[in-house]
Amino acid sequence: MKPFRFRHGDVVARLDPAEASVLGLLLDQLELLLEADADDVAGDPVLERLLPAGHRGDPAAAADYRELTEASLRSGKADDLATLRATLPEGGGEVRLDPDQAAAWLRCTNDLRLALGTRLGISDESEPPEDFADEEDQQLAVYYWLTALQGSLVDALVAGRAARK
Amino acid sequence: MAGPLAPERTPDTTVDEESNLDRPWVTIVWNDPVNLMTYVTFVLQELFGYDEPTATTLMLQVHHEGKAIVSSGPRERMEHDTSRLHAYGLWASFQRDS
Repeated sequence: MKPFRFRHGDVVARLDPAEASVLGLLLDQLELLLEADADDVAGDPVLERLLPAGHRGDPAAAADYRELTEASLRSGKADDLATLRATLPEGGGEVRLDPDQAAAWLRCTNDLRLALGTRLGISDESEPPEDFADEEDQQLAVYYWLTALQGSLVDALVAGRAARK
Repeated sequence: MAGPLAPERTPDTTVDEESNLDRPWVTIVWNDPVNLMTYVTFVLQELFGYDEPTATTLMLQVHHEGKAIVSSGPRERMEHDTSRLHAYGLWASFQRDS
């Protein structure tokens, strides 16, 4: 991977074939979860993190908030997913994003990190795996790879913001 | 308790009787172990127009104290702010200021 950099108004990165394919799989999984039948995923901790309660301690206020906002939150996530699919180079290669596309990548890679981080029980003390002995180590490695990718995107956008001043 | 770090987000609101009546609501961002510190700072700037030092101070408050009030105002506006933060995956909620 070549991390994201700000270049001539766009942000640009380069993904290896394996990275592009892993990212594609993660998008599939996120989409499945978001489109799942509500009964099948009731109480799923990842979904609860992606569509959190708006009010803590007042179930009625939380329900009102959900009624008011969940549909647009979900459709925003679906739009972001579609943007990633449209801009992710199949088989790897350059990712070049205009500001709107970059915002979609920012939110969606964050959702992927939230999903993986919740499943893996990431805490402030978590660290990258030292080897890839089992599946959890591999998922942890993917999590930290996503962290590096998203971190570089944030840095590139901050650089872009500074360049506009 | 809207502390000194809760910037008033009311650039386009006039302080009239009505907004005073339903004023005591706040939007809170809670700490979570996944969201990057740089990301939280970036989002607070993007959504609320805070300058970098203000956004960084709020982010550090979230990180060290577990939460920070990022906006205050009428309930509807706090619900809206919460939903914009949720769209970026920040762990946010609104509540009556206590």
